Amino acid sequence: MSTPTSSTPRRTAPRRTARTGSARRTLLAVSSRSAVSSRSAVSALAALSALALTLTACSGTAHPGGAGGASGTGAAYRLTARTPASAGGLDSFTWSLFAEPTSIDYAYSFDYPPNTVLANVCESLLRWNPDLTTSPGLASAVASPTPTTWVYTIRGGVHFHDGTVLTADDVVASLRRNLDPNVGSDWAYPYRNVKSVDKTGPMQVTVTLNTPDSTFNKYMAASPGTVESAATLRSDGKDYGNPSKGVNCTGPFAFSSWTPGQSLVLTRFDGYWDPSLRARSKQVKFVFLSDATARVNAFRTGEVDGGWMVPPDSYAQLASSSAGRLYYGQNTTVADEVVGNLKGVLGSADVRRALLMAIDRKGIIKAGVAGVGDVADSLVTRNNWNGSLSGGSLDAVLKALPAYPYDPPKARRLAAKAGVAGQKVVIATSPLDSQTTIITQAVAQAATAIGLKPEIDTISSDKYTALFTDPAARKGVDLFLTFWYTSITDPLDMYGSLRTGAFSNYGNWSNPQFDAAVNQAVGSADPAARAAAAAKAQQIAMDQLPWLPLYTEPVSVFLGKRITGVQPSIDYLYYPWAAEIGAQGSGSQGTGAQG
Amino acid sequence: MSLAVAVLRRLAGMAVTLLVTSFLVFSSLYLAPGDPVSFLVRGRSPSPAELAAIRRQFGFDQPFPVRYWHWLDAVLHGDFGRSYLFHESVGAVISSRLPASLLLVGVSTVLIAVVGIGAGALGALRRGTRTDKTVLLLMTVGAAVPSFAAAIVLRSVFGVRLGWFPTIGNGTGFVDQLHHVAMPAVALSVTFMALVTRVSRTAMLDELGREHVEVALSRGTGRWSVLRRHVFRNALGPIVTVSGLLVSGMLVSTAIVETAFGMSGIGSLLVQCVDELDFQVVQALVLLVVAVFVVVNTLVDLLYPLIDPRVAAGGGAR
Repeated sequence: MSTPTSSTPRRTAPRRTARTGSARRTLLAVSSRSAVSSRSAVSALAALSALALTLTACSGTAHPGGAGGASGTGAAYRLTARTPASAGGLDSFTWSLFAEPTSIDYAYSFDYPPNTVLANVCESLLRWNPDLTTSPGLASAVASPTPTTWVYTIRGGVHFHDGTVLTADDVVASLRRNLDPNVGSDWAYPYRNVKSVDKTGPMQVTVTLNTPDSTFNKYMAASPGTVESAATLRSDGKDYGNPSKGVNCTGPFAFSSWTPGQSLVLTRFDGYWDPSLRARSKQVKFVFLSDATARVNAFRTGEVDGGWMVPPDSYAQLASSSAGRLYYGQNTTVADEVVGNLKGVLGSADVRRALLMAIDRKGIIKAGVAGVGDVADSLVTRNNWNGSLSGGSLDAVLKALPAYPYDPPKARRLAAKAGVAGQKVVIATSPLDSQTTIITQAVAQAATAIGLKPEIDTISSDKYTALFTDPAARKGVDLFLTFWYTSITDPLDMYGSLRTGAFSNYGNWSNPQFDAAVNQAVGSADPAARAAAAAKAQQIAMDQLPWLPLYTEPVSVFLGKRITGVQPSIDYLYYPWAAEIGAQGSGSQGTGAQG
Repeated sequence: MSLAVAVLRRLAGMAVTLLVTSFLVFSSLYLAPGDPVSFLVRGRSPSPAELAAIRRQFGFDQPFPVRYWHWLDAVLHGDFGRSYLFHESVGAVISSRLPASLLLVGVSTVLIAVVGIGAGALGALRRGTRTDKTVLLLMTVGAAVPSFAAAIVLRSVFGVRLGWFPTIGNGTGFVDQLHHVAMPAVALSVTFMALVTRVSRTAMLDELGREHVEVALSRGTGRWSVLRRHVFRNALGPIVTVSGLLVSGMLVSTAIVETAFGMSGIGSLLVQCVDELDFQVVQALVLLVVAVFVVVNTLVDLLYPLIDPRVAAGGGAR
């Protein structure tokens, strides 16, 4: 997986789809990553929605259907901010991952499996909270005396899992790894504007930038801001983060053991600095289940207590299961059809607009994700704007965007004007899961509807992943699917990767006004000016459609009947979510916990 | 003497086969589409200088024969390189997953041998009866069931519905491991069992139809002793040959079953490493599988004279 540049995308489910990081999950993610993983049943459709409604009792917020949202799709799912608090601790609980991490070195943690684990073990300078806000983490304070300097005050009294105390030297060593070409960090992109990382006091670290970059500090709440013991990095060398060495960080859980191919075990760290997030359970055991059906079966038999990213075609089954509960939470993921070739038939913006208008996006949501999703009005989710635009002005920004409601006759007329009738359009896909298949079919149908001749190119999952890393693999491919999420609460994480020449700008789209708007936003220290420039970039992107946004979907999490306490949110990739999980019901099962 | 020469010749043949295989494996991977470097950079946009550094670091800048020679030399010293996917030595990556696959294949082998030969013998001895017909029917069905289908059925019936067997994982401790491996082993061996049953039944019917057997039986010589000395023993040749091929073939067929039951073994590892172009691991695994194949078949050949003395004597057995 790879994700290119930007932020976080990863591939997810196909190898689950690769959802790539911030970006792209390409496809895999959802279900499992492996090729093999399929969400089986396609026929889905199921009447889930009603079930889902009854599900989430507690602090659920009804999903905002407005602003191009669910309206009319009949989707009635709710987001849950917090599952019922646990009644006590547990000796141990088991969690499924759709793939085994290949390493838990934070520099190579750019995919769901390693980040899901590491979020509980290693901490960053800042913390990305379940409501997608950012708060202090290992840095107790941050200052930006000039637009090109970020000064971090390191928290005192924090211990690594081996008992040593956190200092500025550890922070410097950890951050600098992202700049080291010999390390080859997956997170080099957020560091692209960094000139130096230096210790400027016993407990102070200063990052100097070459040019102002408003997103840099936000990345300090994700993997790029991870702090590891400098001594451990030195002594473990190339083996750092592998199954035999593990890691030595400061989180509420410590790395305990990793049996390759089978499981990875974390144990509670009793010297953890933050009482509010001290782990309630003594142990978490992660098991690697690449087959989606195997995962769902394990939920139903109770062999596994829970897991993120439930395959959509089992939503109905799990929602009605007595084995536990299914919850949905805030996400930053958008399913997009990437235009991989702007020299072909999709070179004209009118043809791209026509194609988007001809795609039955509500139908895709209904058939592909059991109604648990909303038509996307842009390339980022609404909550990516949290903190930069207030509700009212955000509504205004979204309302001003060009909309592409489903209208095949109008789309056909538009395409006819562009004179592309009868031309071939190649849609790449991979037999990853039912969702991917359904989307591909819908896009092919739309192409037919506007007079094009769609050709579906089904390729293996590894080759599919290569679409995201290798320009040669994209040759001759006009469209391919990605699930792109951002690792920070900022639309620039997405739009930055569509600038001219950016690695994730797969179709080599280039628009000078767009580039200027993004650069202005990234370089602007003033939040209002930044938001305005970002909104302008978004407006251009939605007018030109370098990618076609399809739909957004919530994060899903299944909790077996033994456990509760988690706050469902995409922040689970960087926030110690497992620390809040404990026993369900009255009285604690097991011992452990401190209440 | 002649036996020793035969053994030596076999071993030499084995070494040559492995050497040729190693070359084919090594070269085919480098001819495969996809640039490993693009996976190594994992989505970054490295400068040409960085790219060159990566190529140098992994030896991609050297001419092919040199790369092959370095690799072969290291392999002969027991060093299969470092997996760039797992950040560990290839030996560690494989050895952590091999035991599970060996247990799976081992248990499957026992099932195939016991059930396959047993059912084949039963059918042959009861030829034409209801028992024989049942065996034939089951065999036909079994041969048609792919392991992934068997896995799905076993998992949902005996795992999810009845709860008799775990649906995921490898287990810890011998008994628990057997418990975990039972369903995967059945799923893996169904087809092979059916094949062995068919071969066993046919081979035994052939032997039963031979004149000396009919004569011995008609003379009233002990039925069991005739069966053991003349029928089983002579029928064993083809059965062992087929079983040897099946067992070594099983090692690469484990991927689907391992994935379905959330087990970790070399089958699923191979799929993953091919996906990610982790050449070092793929090379080692392919070589390992070929080695097992060659060794098993050599053993089968060497076993032949013990099973059937006529072979050792150079007679025209069979």
